Amino acid sequence: MSEKLQRLLILTILLICIPAILFALSADEIITKMDRLSTFATTFATGSIQTTDRFGTKTSLFKSWSQGEKDSLIEFTSKAEQGQKILRTEGSLYLFYPDAEQLIRMQGAALRQSMLGSDLSYEDMTEEKNTLDNYKASLDGLETFKGRECHVLTLTAKNRSVAYPIQKIWVDTESYLVWKAEYSTQAGRLLKEMEVLETFISGDRVLPGKSMIADKMKKDSSTLMTIDTFEANPKLDKSIFTLENLTW
Amino acid sequence: MVGKKTQRIVLSCIAVALSLSPLIAAENPVISMDLLPTVSYQAKDSTWKEFMSADLGVTLASKREGNVRGEVVLRGNSLKAVTSFDDVLHKAYFKARFPSFRLTAGKTRLSWGDGILFNAGDVLYGSNSTSVSLTQAELRSTTNWLASVNYPLGFFSFAEAVVMPSDTHDPTDMLFGTRYYTTVKDIKVELGYATKKPASEVRVHKPYISLQGNLGFDWYLSSSIAIPVAGDIAKKSGESWMISAGILHLVTLPLDRSLTLRLELLTRPFGAWETGPVTDGTAAILLYPELVLSYSPSLSFSLRSIISPMDLSAMSTLGMSWNIFDAFNLIGSLSLFTGDQGDLFAWNSTDPTKPSFSATVGSSWVF
Repeated sequence: MSEKLQRLLILTILLICIPAILFALSADEIITKMDRLSTFATTFATGSIQTTDRFGTKTSLFKSWSQGEKDSLIEFTSKAEQGQKILRTEGSLYLFYPDAEQLIRMQGAALRQSMLGSDLSYEDMTEEKNTLDNYKASLDGLETFKGRECHVLTLTAKNRSVAYPIQKIWVDTESYLVWKAEYSTQAGRLLKEMEVLETFISGDRVLPGKSMIADKMKKDSSTLMTIDTFEANPKLDKSIFTLENLTW
Repeated sequence: MVGKKTQRIVLSCIAVALSLSPLIAAENPVISMDLLPTVSYQAKDSTWKEFMSADLGVTLASKREGNVRGEVVLRGNSLKAVTSFDDVLHKAYFKARFPSFRLTAGKTRLSWGDGILFNAGDVLYGSNSTSVSLTQAELRSTTNWLASVNYPLGFFSFAEAVVMPSDTHDPTDMLFGTRYYTTVKDIKVELGYATKKPASEVRVHKPYISLQGNLGFDWYLSSSIAIPVAGDIAKKSGESWMISAGILHLVTLPLDRSLTLRLELLTRPFGAWETGPVTDGTAAILLYPELVLSYSPSLSFSLRSIISPMDLSAMSTLGMSWNIFDAFNLIGSLSLFTGDQGDLFAWNSTDPTKPSFSATVGSSWVF
């Protein structure tokens, strides 16, 4: 191969690669965009949590409100838990049990308690959408999942305050929806797996409509979380995320 | 033969239930039913007993919408005699939301202070007695007629005032209370005060403080004192001083199981510190350790104890709860008293409500 041809070949490769390098998103940028697209100024949703084990399915119904990254309120409407509420604000979680008219403030490890016997913890259910505050992200590459091209990222916990030390997530390259997630221990042992089964569109965003959370430590145990109705950016009363409303 | 008084009470209950039938149709009542067959052993007279404890609850609630809501809860237990309608009327209240405050009136509960068994901050009902069933999920559930006003002072702060009628029906014996709830840095701070005149006693003033925070584990601390208006004020005040404290921590175990550890303590600095038998109202120190192993999201095992270190006696309950179907649980428990004659938790107690040993297997269903 002549020198001229070699130079031309190198130049061509550079011309192809440089834009890709320049415009490729870093892991942090993907996470930031993922968080941004799953966060709304305000939301209101109704849905259900169905926990299935070998004895059958248990269903809990809920209403939820959220505001920005950190505020969320969940109220259970099914009979066994009617009126129980969970308020999450920065750093704290408040539970209200209407039978005892009791307001309980929880912090730390207590947030990891299973909620209503499901495979979800209080922390999972009211997760703050500030992933990079708690995790260091690395990009593993691209994979196709359910026919969608996804960024595959590994998230490693920066501190011990999170429920899962390691997460591996599959993020849609277009919609930035997390199609799949694997939650593992520090030693890499798989604890739970989440997979989005159905999606819906709100404005220009794709959101999970049905998600299956499987506990990999147990056979025949899974939790199906379904969003039945969803409203983006509704006008919410400013008192919704207050103790006054929690104890109402 | 059922007495006329009992007949009247039963008829009153039925009349109230019938009058609420439109509400039943409209708002979907919630019924809770605990059926707990129990076998117990009384060491004092070496007798075994078997009985059925049936707890029935009916809740009729309005929708949680708008500016007024209310709830009626009727509760009864097959082992408890009903002497008045008030015995089965667990709750009957409304809450009304005004632009700047909230009014609650009727029979209900207010939870002041922190602690599931020992709570020195509970100056309204008193959470220091050891006469509780450790098999219950809710250890303190006393309700009372009251009227309260809750005034929000920001998103996570409020002030509350309450008035409760007296047992004597004398207006000068009524209970008045107020509290302020806020968060300072990362610590919840609750300051409050209540004044009441117990029947045949002098009026007492009861200030309290309750704090809650996290130091890697959740902690809470409450303290209260009851200052009488007459008599030996210094001595009585000292004797009434109580401090309760608790820690709560969750340990994640392999196979996604978890162990919840709770330890509560109640101390009376001027209580009976001598070793030997103590009484419920004067024990200088009482402990409540609780371990809950969540074997799976639907199956848990618990060990709860009330320990009296001064006489080395304890009441312990080993429990199991298995949520098999929607709101249907299988529950079981073994309870044991381990103390000498005269101790707070004596093995050979003469009190029939304190069997030396009991075993229960039953079910709980909400529908």
